[in-house]
Amino acid sequence: MSGRLTIIDESHLDDLALGSVFLATGGGGDPYVPKLITAEALKTYGPVPLLAPEDVEDDAFIVTVGSVGAPTVSLELLPSVEDAARTLDAFEKYTGRKIDAVASFEIGGGNSVIPICAAAAKGIPVIDGDGMGRALPEAQMMSYPIGGVKPTPALAYDYAGNQATFETDTTETYERHIRAFSMAAGGMVTAAEHPMTGRQLKDTVIPGTVSFSVKLGAMLREKRGQADTLLQPLKALFETSIYGECKLLYTGKVIDKTTRIIGGYDIGEATIQDFNASADPLLINIKNEYLLARQGERVLASVPDLITIVDFETGTPINGERLRFGQRVAIFATGCPEFYRTERALKVVEPRCFGFDIDYIPLEAL
Amino acid sequence: MRIGIDVGGTHTDAVILDGDEIISATKALTSSDVVTGVTNALDTLLNGGGLKPAQIKTVMIGTTQFTNAIVQRRELSPTGVIRIGLPSGKGMPPMIDWPEDMANAVNASVYMIHGGYLYDGFPVAELREDEINEVISDLQQKKIENIAIASAFAPMNDTPERLVAEKIRKAIPTAKITRSSQFGRLGLMERENAAIMNATLLPFAGKVVDAFLGALRNRDLTCPAYISQNDGTLMSSDFVRNFPALTFSSGPTNSLRGAYKLTGLEEAIVVDIGGTTSDIGVLQNGFPRESNIVVDIGGVRTNFRMPDILALGLGGGSLVSSDGQVIGPQSVGHKLVTEGLVFGGQQLTASDIIVASGDTEMGDKSKVSHLSDATIKAAKQTMRTMLDRSIDMMKPGGKDMPVILVGGGSVLVTDGLNAAAKLHRPKNADVANAIGAAIAQVGAESERMVSYRATPRDEALAQITQAATERAIFAGADPATIRAVDIEETAVPYMDEGATRVRVKVIGELAL
Repeated sequence: MSGRLTIIDESHLDDLALGSVFLATGGGGDPYVPKLITAEALKTYGPVPLLAPEDVEDDAFIVTVGSVGAPTVSLELLPSVEDAARTLDAFEKYTGRKIDAVASFEIGGGNSVIPICAAAAKGIPVIDGDGMGRALPEAQMMSYPIGGVKPTPALAYDYAGNQATFETDTTETYERHIRAFSMAAGGMVTAAEHPMTGRQLKDTVIPGTVSFSVKLGAMLREKRGQADTLLQPLKALFETSIYGECKLLYTGKVIDKTTRIIGGYDIGEATIQDFNASADPLLINIKNEYLLARQGERVLASVPDLITIVDFETGTPINGERLRFGQRVAIFATGCPEFYRTERALKVVEPRCFGFDIDYIPLEAL
Repeated sequence: MRIGIDVGGTHTDAVILDGDEIISATKALTSSDVVTGVTNALDTLLNGGGLKPAQIKTVMIGTTQFTNAIVQRRELSPTGVIRIGLPSGKGMPPMIDWPEDMANAVNASVYMIHGGYLYDGFPVAELREDEINEVISDLQQKKIENIAIASAFAPMNDTPERLVAEKIRKAIPTAKITRSSQFGRLGLMERENAAIMNATLLPFAGKVVDAFLGALRNRDLTCPAYISQNDGTLMSSDFVRNFPALTFSSGPTNSLRGAYKLTGLEEAIVVDIGGTTSDIGVLQNGFPRESNIVVDIGGVRTNFRMPDILALGLGGGSLVSSDGQVIGPQSVGHKLVTEGLVFGGQQLTASDIIVASGDTEMGDKSKVSHLSDATIKAAKQTMRTMLDRSIDMMKPGGKDMPVILVGGGSVLVTDGLNAAAKLHRPKNADVANAIGAAIAQVGAESERMVSYRATPRDEALAQITQAATERAIFAGADPATIRAVDIEETAVPYMDEGATRVRVKVIGELAL
């Protein structure tokens, strides 16, 4: 990807966080607080090298690190600057191995910056890439396990320094266990998991997404304004990236939004009506993330492609938890990385995995 | 009869209402001491209406004094800030993201101590006697008396904030303490910011309230005085001594509420056209629709309830291109009276167009006789399109709604608007803010995170409604008239099946 960064410092964080909310497709949690602790870490420890996956040694030891829990809880139970680095220290002690670099679970939301915070304190590089290229609700939907990386040994660390270690066979089982620990710890923990070799990383990571998120955030900041004026710059950016197609699906007002919890997820729908009330409304299905956009029977976009809702007047992306009745919004959709269009990936992320009885059709074919 | 006063940065507006009838209205300049401006407005009102002070039963005041103090970083007092939440949030002290000049203006002493609760009521840590004592002796040594206290999950369990406040009050009896739980919503940093801004304004709040009451006393008005807050409801003036931050953004709210009073329309779009912008808001059930975006005041993130306002760059002073196709957002603002063409200036403004078209009279019409009919027509069409488009964007659900025009710039609208089901131009629209203040009600809200598995939904809603009701009564509401106007439930992902964030808002008539 062109314009790749080789270093991350404090000046990149606002853009990275803004871009990450766009890529989070409604989920991933507000990166505001994670961004603040990362800024503190970068102030204290200095900038962090950003390592392109192809530059990683095949036998390097890479670990993914990030927060696991409920975004709402992080509004009150603030993280500590040292949480992420302490988690890595404990992980090294537990496994007896030295970590060479860290990578992100998901570029969407708060977990876009947590690995940078950890890497700064540990004095190691962070990988320019992540395990989703967006945000998705479950750990087994990451590219690492889809590509065969085992979830454990893994270690989680809570606000008071309590620790739990995990040895599970599948990521589905690991997901259930760490969620239970997260709830017991007040709803938010930091985890180090999916340890892998440099070779495994190269085979499974979604590359270049940290650089891309910074570029995307910078563009949204510079071109801040009415959403329809953002389409051309967004197209220019996405269509030369791993994401491909970018469309403006709809503009209008949120006339209804309902969510309820089913199986530990925020599940619901949002209905958007165009400003003149002349077209059929747009319906968005939500499971933490915006997963499906439909107008009547017609599907306009579906997971694993990205669906993003932005504030109509400023182009600022809006998290699912902040989406509300009466807001004036625009809905964009973009393609997803090729990795998520392969058979083995679609097996865990196609619309049917979320209970929608439709086939996945790539955005550009809709 | 009641008096409504709006003390803005430039103008002090005032009205006398007898029931629904406007007896007298005035617009005066705001004085730097506040007292003179308010006293002058009261004189004009009482003399104009031929009224005696004893006939006035209440005075309601809306003011931007506290917002302006924050924005201009003046009248702020040194403040002690205590965060209860260790071991969580280490390295993330209070005010970490404040603009430097604002942090300097507050000159805070910051303390972080152990304590607080998790969402399910399990303690984050126990409070530690020695830590609290250390904080107190440092406050005493620095002679700090304005204090803000914030604790994790305080909206659900405020015991740690109360215990620490009690200990401080025992050691420093004159301390003025703001607890974050007094500002409702979840979001520790935003709630803490609100508490700090409130604490730092407390000495100024005392001065301003004294000035208001002094002006009333000067004119023998001994009736109760209330001050309006940002959601269109009232606080007793003594309440404002402790909660000045709750007045932030009451200006646009009062303008919307005034428009409601002037027309009686509960569901409508209000367009307040000034010199530089048209501020467009929405009335729902007679109250402003609130914004959902995190609001920053003077560069500080807060959790305040604010009306949802779309500011369109079109006002009486907006600059017009020579072909009439482009208008605003640049404006001559309040310099219209010297820089507009009809006033002998050099700039073609929106007001000049309306004079040229013969729709209104101001200044010297001959100064715009050179404008072509095509330009005038195009400019009027541009204004109309701008307003229609913005109004359409604000309409909830795209349904047809009436539009109420207020503000001095409303002359710009000459032939109606496509976006308006019906267009209303009420009399006395220029003092809508003061009218809005005069009719404010008393409201309060409470928010908690609950588990519907542990507490049945009906029971939880009743408890939270009760907490809000108690706040409303404390703020001066008549208990018999209090009703819940908004219940918001937000499910919390990743938690147990019943975990929900619930917010209840209640409103009641002022107990007179």
